[in-house]
Amino acid sequence: MDLTEAKVPDIGNYHDVPVIELLVKPGDLVKKDQGLVTLESDKATMEVPSPVAGMVRELKVQLNDKVSEGTLVALIEPADGAVSVKHEHVSVAPETAGAGPAAMVTSQAARDGDRHADIECALLVLGAGPGGYTAAFRGADLGLDVVLVERYPSLGGVCLNVGCIPSKALLHTAEVIDAAAAMAAHGLTFGPPTLDLDRLRAFKTGVVAKLTGGLAGMARQRKVRVLHGAGLFVSPHELDVATDAGVKRVRFEKAIVAAGSRALKLPGFPWGDPRVMDSTDALSLTEIPPTLLVVGGGIIGLEMATVYASLGSRVTVVELADQLVPGCDADLVRPLQLRLSKRLEGIHLRTKVAHAEAGKDGIHVKFEGASAPSRNVYDRVLVAVGRTPNGNAIGAAAAGMIVDGRGYIPVDAQMRSNVPHIFAIGDIVGNPMLAHKATHEGKLAAEVAAGHKREWLARVIPAVAYTDPEIAWVGVSEREAKEQGLATESAKFPWAASGRALGMDRGEGFTKLIFDTATRRIVGGGIVGPHAGDLIAEVALAIEMGAEAADIGHTIHPHPTLGETVAMAAELFEGSITDLIAPKRQ
Amino acid sequence: MPSPIEAKVPDIGNYHDVPVIELLVKPGDLVKKDQGLVTLESDKATMEVPSPVAGVVRELRVKLDDKVSEGAIVALIESSVGATESRVQAIEPAKPAQEAKAVPATDAANPSAAPDRAGDASLERRVDAGAATHRPTAPPVRFSANAVMPERVPYATPAVRLFARELGVDLAQVAGSGKGGRVLREDVQAFVRQAFAAGGARGAGSGGAGLGLLPWPEIDFSKFGPVQTQPLSKIKRASGSNLARNWAMIPHVTQHDVADITEMEAFRKQLGTEQKDLKITPLVFLIKAAVAALQRFPIFNASLDAKGETLTLKQYFHIGIAVDTPEGLVVPVIRDCDRKGILELARELALVSAKARDRKLTPAEMSGGCFSISSLGGIGGTAFTPIINAPEVAILGVSKSSMQPVWSGTAFEPRLMLPLSLSYDHRVIDGAAAARFVAYMALVLADLRRLML
Repeated sequence: MDLTEAKVPDIGNYHDVPVIELLVKPGDLVKKDQGLVTLESDKATMEVPSPVAGMVRELKVQLNDKVSEGTLVALIEPADGAVSVKHEHVSVAPETAGAGPAAMVTSQAARDGDRHADIECALLVLGAGPGGYTAAFRGADLGLDVVLVERYPSLGGVCLNVGCIPSKALLHTAEVIDAAAAMAAHGLTFGPPTLDLDRLRAFKTGVVAKLTGGLAGMARQRKVRVLHGAGLFVSPHELDVATDAGVKRVRFEKAIVAAGSRALKLPGFPWGDPRVMDSTDALSLTEIPPTLLVVGGGIIGLEMATVYASLGSRVTVVELADQLVPGCDADLVRPLQLRLSKRLEGIHLRTKVAHAEAGKDGIHVKFEGASAPSRNVYDRVLVAVGRTPNGNAIGAAAAGMIVDGRGYIPVDAQMRSNVPHIFAIGDIVGNPMLAHKATHEGKLAAEVAAGHKREWLARVIPAVAYTDPEIAWVGVSEREAKEQGLATESAKFPWAASGRALGMDRGEGFTKLIFDTATRRIVGGGIVGPHAGDLIAEVALAIEMGAEAADIGHTIHPHPTLGETVAMAAELFEGSITDLIAPKRQ
Repeated sequence: MPSPIEAKVPDIGNYHDVPVIELLVKPGDLVKKDQGLVTLESDKATMEVPSPVAGVVRELRVKLDDKVSEGAIVALIESSVGATESRVQAIEPAKPAQEAKAVPATDAANPSAAPDRAGDASLERRVDAGAATHRPTAPPVRFSANAVMPERVPYATPAVRLFARELGVDLAQVAGSGKGGRVLREDVQAFVRQAFAAGGARGAGSGGAGLGLLPWPEIDFSKFGPVQTQPLSKIKRASGSNLARNWAMIPHVTQHDVADITEMEAFRKQLGTEQKDLKITPLVFLIKAAVAALQRFPIFNASLDAKGETLTLKQYFHIGIAVDTPEGLVVPVIRDCDRKGILELARELALVSAKARDRKLTPAEMSGGCFSISSLGGIGGTAFTPIINAPEVAILGVSKSSMQPVWSGTAFEPRLMLPLSLSYDHRVIDGAAAARFVAYMALVLADLRRLML
């Protein structure tokens, strides 16, 4: 029989690209276009597909071999219809299900009929968002046999697909537009931007695809089996997954629920109309509407308001509370509100939407509250009033798991639910719904599941609004200190005294540190200004390390940077600052 | 609905601030009258606070590690008196859940140590018992100032917290040697070493100071052959911690001697025929002889303070008797032995021994001892080294008596000889005093008339 050569296809102008992974070995059955080896250029990884369905006879490359277009990768013996080709991803369904290790759950399984499990694993992870894939990968790295179930076609969850990552790609664009425009005041005038929305969308999609594709590759390298389809628990040790190839039953020893949250669809809006959007819709960037109403002045609403305003929409924000980013210290919000109020059509606090209906010329909205906007018809409306956990959508009851009235799964300090072998992490266990909280919890749950002696030890979780300016805060806020009567003192370093900030024409920011009066140890901090989200990491580290003001002030910070402002705030507290006139200390 | 009844800590002797080591019920649980609600642990023993009535636990007023004293309210119980039959019966199904809780796998605080299969085995019951088991508290991730403010959290970096968690060390108990009391990795290590030196995971406070011992060897015995693990009983763990501290901190010397109890045994047997319903054991004579010796050598009826500087001499004579029970060793104390006769002591001894075996001893009945006696005479042996029951300064070990040829000055005579082993705290008592003490006891036992002198 003739062997078919599998060669490196056109990979652009790259030469001598290294082989970073062998996906098959001689004797393996492969489908047409199934990946044989993975190559990695400095931009991306890609797989060399099999030209035919058949059996791998010989691999012609080794790990780390350098290949270019046309290099022979493998010899494939084509299947002439007789060979039934098994798909790599469909994992082996052991005939012995119901005996052996599965016997321990038979009584429970019996309740669901005599159906045997199609797939067995030590650890099932439900949901492949940042928490879920982290848990799956960590579990696999610790030697567990992991199955990762994801309802959407690509891994990465909300964060990678329709959240943090695409929004940051768009926010960067907005930032460049705004920065270019701001240059006019410095004597550098650019022409007005022309926007090719398709290319912008393609860039955003490309970023997402690169990351999610990378995840799929890492899952393969770790031998994590991925099942696509919605999962429902049917017993404390079984989950049914509605895959394209029918319902697969997964039997697991332990599980980690990372099924996340979804945007809260505020009732009263004509959700059937595509002009009413949640954050996912807004990120898909269908069009730049001339007018946009953003309902909800929290982080997500303001980020999207920033993007759409920069791309040309006239944006109105309404918020029910008496400040934007409710819960955050008011002084941190002020510079943002000041800047936004110049760029948006309006910011309306203590105001809510009383009624909304779809009309031919737009969405007609009636407002109630302190300051109703004058405009009542919007081309599009974004509702960003929060997110709700998916605890009620996973068949938790069949597993004996408690889900509270709002859809959260209560867990202990090891992320165990009331069913001790089922863990839950991420948005589904509670606020704050942040990816970096979920990844930390995911890692923790996987380590506990693998038998490690771990529990939640982190003391603070930083929060960032990627608005312009950014707002970031961590630990004790001034608001909380006041409410609880904590003995703290704050030191606020205004960026008006930072040469770097002034060079960026962004002197409106400040860095605020909050110290325990008695021990002089840092307990909180808040920063507003460009890159606040990057700067807050140092504050979080200082809190976790129990740093005193002097520890921070006596750490030499590079000049001129925004990072300096953290040290300056500490020096301000110490009374040793020279870049400002230090306030008199008792 | 009747107002809830308060479940209070009963008389637990002179103990105050006794820690709660286990919560046996939770709000909503059905309890029977006298069912244990929480477990307290004194340095001598553990005891349960019983429910005063049958009913439903309304509220627990204590948490783990809370310190309680007599009269403290432990829980509010809503009485089910007058409840329907079905409700009373409902108490029974609650029981398996209770037992399931005892399976180590369900111990949320220490789950990794548990075999997973055990957890799975109990799963059915757990699910069937509904949401009643292991209800996790609110998510731990909600940030609050309590997680940060220096006076509310241990002063330790994440790496040290992680290290401590791995070793199961509660950082709140570790004294930090770093600047401002920062807990360093070395402090955690020292704490663990000290805990091992104290003979258990409990750690005997900070007074013991690190002994600089090697860590306990951790060996996978299953490599060498089939094994089975079995947790030590609570009594054994409690007494083990005390024994390890006492053995490590008190310089023990043991003085051995023999007493001629030929006449004593004759007298005892005679008494036995007179007292049909009272068992008179040799131990009561040993108590009387010990009291006589304590009266003559007051330094043996004393305690040394923690600094090892001051001696407290006692003017009462309470004798502790080591009693072997299936769960382990307990030491009930018989009070005012100087004022009690042989018969009264015999009666009381029978009573406390029975109580000890039924686990009915209260901490009050196990406290206040001046001097302890540990008798293995009923079993065998010729000598052994008893461990002093701190803060006492001496303990008498009694082995099995045997008939021996004793030179009377003219001939060997068969005499019943009883081996006595006196361990004493050499910081307080010197060897000559110990030798005199035991010799005097032997003298008294040889001729009980001396008790009257």
